[in-house]
Amino acid sequence: MNQFNYLHPASTDQAVSSASSDGSKFIAGGTTLVDLMKLYVENPSTLVDVNDLPLAQVESLPNGGLRVGAMVRNSDLAFHPTVKEKYAVLSEALLSGASPQLRNMATTGGNLLQRTRCPYFRDVTAGPCNKRNPGTGCSAIDGFNRTMAILGTSDHCIATHPSDMDVAMTALEALIFIEGPKGKRSVPINDFYKLPGDTPHIENVLEPGELITHVEIPPAISTKQHYLKLRDRASYEFALASAAVVARVEGGHIHSVRIAMGGVGTRPWRAHEAEAVLTGKPATPAHFQAAAEAALRGAKPHTENAFKVELAKRCVIRALKVATA
Amino acid sequence: MTDDSTNPAQRRVVGTPQIRKEGAEKVLGRAKYVDDIEFPGMWHGATVRSTIPRGRILAIHFDESVPWHEFVIVTAADIPGNNHIQMIAADQPCLADGAVNHCDEPILLIAHPDKRLLPQAVASVRIDYEELPAVLSIEESESKREIIWGADTSTPNVFKEFVLQKGNVDEAWSSAACIVEGEYSTGAQEHLYIENNGMIADYSDDGGITVWGSLQCPFYVHKSLMAVFNLPEDKVRVIQTETGGAFGGKEDYPSIIASHAALLALKARRPIKMIYDRMEDLAATTKRHPSRTRHRTAVDKDGKLLAMEIEIATDGGAYSTLSSTVLSRATLHATGPYVCPNIRIRSRAWATNTVPYGAFRGFGAPQTIFAIERHMEHIALAVGMDPVELRRRNFLHDGDTTATQQIMREPVILDQLLDRALAVSDFYAKRERYARENATNPVKCGIGIAAFYHGSGFTGSGERRLNSLAGVDVTLQGKVRVLVSSTEFGQGTNTILAQIAAEALGISYDDVEMAPSDTHLIPNSGPTVASRTSMVVGHLIQRSGRQLIQTLKEAANLSDNYTRHDFFAACELLRARDGEVKSLSRYEAPPNIYWNDDTYTGEAYPAFAWAVYVAEVAVDTITYSAEVIDFHTVQEVGTVLNPTLAAGQIEGGVAQGIGYALYEKVQLKNGHMFNNQMTNYIMPTAQDVPPIHVYFEQIPFAYGAFGAKGIGELPHDGPAPAILNAIQNATGESFSAIPLLPEDIFLRFASYGLDPENITA
Repeated sequence: MNQFNYLHPASTDQAVSSASSDGSKFIAGGTTLVDLMKLYVENPSTLVDVNDLPLAQVESLPNGGLRVGAMVRNSDLAFHPTVKEKYAVLSEALLSGASPQLRNMATTGGNLLQRTRCPYFRDVTAGPCNKRNPGTGCSAIDGFNRTMAILGTSDHCIATHPSDMDVAMTALEALIFIEGPKGKRSVPINDFYKLPGDTPHIENVLEPGELITHVEIPPAISTKQHYLKLRDRASYEFALASAAVVARVEGGHIHSVRIAMGGVGTRPWRAHEAEAVLTGKPATPAHFQAAAEAALRGAKPHTENAFKVELAKRCVIRALKVATA
Repeated sequence: MTDDSTNPAQRRVVGTPQIRKEGAEKVLGRAKYVDDIEFPGMWHGATVRSTIPRGRILAIHFDESVPWHEFVIVTAADIPGNNHIQMIAADQPCLADGAVNHCDEPILLIAHPDKRLLPQAVASVRIDYEELPAVLSIEESESKREIIWGADTSTPNVFKEFVLQKGNVDEAWSSAACIVEGEYSTGAQEHLYIENNGMIADYSDDGGITVWGSLQCPFYVHKSLMAVFNLPEDKVRVIQTETGGAFGGKEDYPSIIASHAALLALKARRPIKMIYDRMEDLAATTKRHPSRTRHRTAVDKDGKLLAMEIEIATDGGAYSTLSSTVLSRATLHATGPYVCPNIRIRSRAWATNTVPYGAFRGFGAPQTIFAIERHMEHIALAVGMDPVELRRRNFLHDGDTTATQQIMREPVILDQLLDRALAVSDFYAKRERYARENATNPVKCGIGIAAFYHGSGFTGSGERRLNSLAGVDVTLQGKVRVLVSSTEFGQGTNTILAQIAAEALGISYDDVEMAPSDTHLIPNSGPTVASRTSMVVGHLIQRSGRQLIQTLKEAANLSDNYTRHDFFAACELLRARDGEVKSLSRYEAPPNIYWNDDTYTGEAYPAFAWAVYVAEVAVDTITYSAEVIDFHTVQEVGTVLNPTLAAGQIEGGVAQGIGYALYEKVQLKNGHMFNNQMTNYIMPTAQDVPPIHVYFEQIPFAYGAFGAKGIGELPHDGPAPAILNAIQNATGESFSAIPLLPEDIFLRFASYGLDPENITA
């Protein structure tokens, strides 16, 4: 691992000003960043430790929503009584990720910035990677791409976004609050992530020095929710395909539904087309299948991951079935 | 020399769950692994490796951005002795010299005091190659379009070939009621020991070379270093540090990394530490041999085997390493535990431009046992017989002969093992229930069986050639020490050998300790491989103990009913007479052991461990995933020396076998492993492993320690076929290749289409 400066600011203002220089990175749980530093994929010159910032609260909002501090640990969020009761999809998604030890360290803010597990990205000796080394090329397109994305890919990158939490947050339409050198702002989660396009190293809208301070989750009253994750083994594994469903069902009909998919996109993947197919329709398997077909209509498989198209459809269908049962 | 301990009821130490000798140090974090050791002035070493699978090295460029004068650089020209790693043959260079034959082949070594500078320095060495066409599969090697090994031999591209004949296969086909053919293949598998390969080396003109490291076989490393450095025996010293798992993966590779560290130490004139990180370890070190086995079998109308024709091909990688002996064991386990009058087996290990494959728990047996135990299922289907019954009708019994014409002199209790396995797993009731429930459930459950043996110890004349020496001595501090080169790497060597010594000497387990694993201090009791430690080395310790007691009785008047105090007092009398208290024993083959290496006939193994395993699976036909939901194991391994460790061996082997069958896929491109990270090479976790029920039958083997036979490898042999047999039972679909991943199952089911009504939780 390279040498780096280590700063330990006591306030958010201080953290933001400390981190505005080039080569600075915030460190929270470190469950992604430290790995990547050991692999020489990330080589920050300064680490700004945000663990002591007062951002670890979960608070109910007057509108019935929930405010989650960026430093709330995944385990604490998953087991928070309000989350378990009102945002089951989020709790299920969090508990399907990683291991208890990692969930005790990983934070809400850090998870929103989780980086891909693409083997070429994570191995500096593995040849070109546009995300790691912009402009060099993508080794995965013609290489080992079994787990790569089938939605939102470009000729420059097909790396899968690995998060579970972010998929649930997307289905819940969370709002991300940011503080930076130019002040405060908030961004809906669906506008937070960027498609790889020809700049796959730019993964979200954060500017240098900007820090996620908290997330607001709107109320999800009277909804049925489910997170389904399909993966190569029962724990400690990223999704081959996952689906988060938040649905309001009235009299056997789908009043409204939000669907997001994980493990298949280059970012957490909101399936607007599938939602449109279902809205106002009876909650029947035939409609679920039509929705799944719509969700994967734009899928573009590569040499080894064609199976993920069918797997993702089945995942959406089953998640809808469980959620609306 | 037979086991005269007779009555198990009188044993105090053997057969009891003594705690691990090194366990407390490990759990308290005090155990010193190689990377915990620091020497003053020590530098760190790294390896520059080939990025192409085959070619000539034209030029080596050192990027000027690196201050190379601060580094020590070693090339093949710096090797004082032979530029090869001494294994069975001597074809593998220590460092590539002019040509490379696989990706990740070591070319250059560099060392620097600051290990953080090494990755950048390695990346700053650019090598120009003239690339040559690479051979990357068994089929490409068979085609002989490119000859990459043995061009001057009569069998180019073939490391080793065996032909094994019994009876007359050709005359049997015409009388068959049914002839069944099948082809089965198995993939590579990585050991995934917790501790990666690592070594420290130091050199001095007086002392020669000393290495400290993570390894299984101190004298293999010793022999290899003697050749690379052209040094006599006493100028090479190998010390095993606490070793965090091996599974065969530290049988041959430590000779390479030890040679590399020592070459750097010689040139730098200071201690050198080389520790592979996980990515380098996965990409550059050995794995289980991939295989392809073809069966053609004649059976009569009652399901009796009439003839077996078997063709085995393994992928050996770029150099011969251990491929010939792995192939031997694959060949000798290819018929399964069945009797058949006419057998012909032809097996070959092929050269390819991939990282050499090496030893891995089972050593060829899991590959061919997968094939025969899947094939038996297909035969059963062809003759319309219950696969359990088909196996029972063909089991070996006492007095039968195997493919090598070895007569089964020891009791064979396969029927008893099968009956118990069927009973404890509730086999028939479950099979019926699953069939009933599967009709309406998209998650299909199934149950499958595998029967198999594993030969204990070295094959054929191997143990005679090893000529192992082992024993015990007594220290001035009043401790008995076990003197062996057999090593502890998690499997329990220290514990069981101490138990055997304590039992044989009539003293307590706490009075026994292990001598340091240091080639200057211990005799060569052979490598810690081949399920031989309990049976062969343990028996030497038992004999040495008995012999010492006899000596003490004769020379120091030790009484028949001696106490602990009497024992140690007598030892001091003996020391006063002889200057030391030591008893060593050398290997003696059991009587009537005959082996012909030319015809491959005779007693392939002095003893066999036997087992019947039952796997239960749930296959989700919506998501294509197959999960093992329950697992029953019944085995006969001779005397169980330590029930806790023995059960642990079985449970660990089954878990590793589940990974082999359903999870672990080595993804190669140009012969380089591309999923060389634990996030991409999927091994099962505790949640993927079902309850594993372990049952032992015990038939003491007269020439093993207190009746013990081998146990370590057996449990890796059976899980894969049992699981795929269960998948066939669950789904009606037959799969012949492992690893079997969800997408492989999907491809079979996709053609059936999807009924959304059936997608349930």
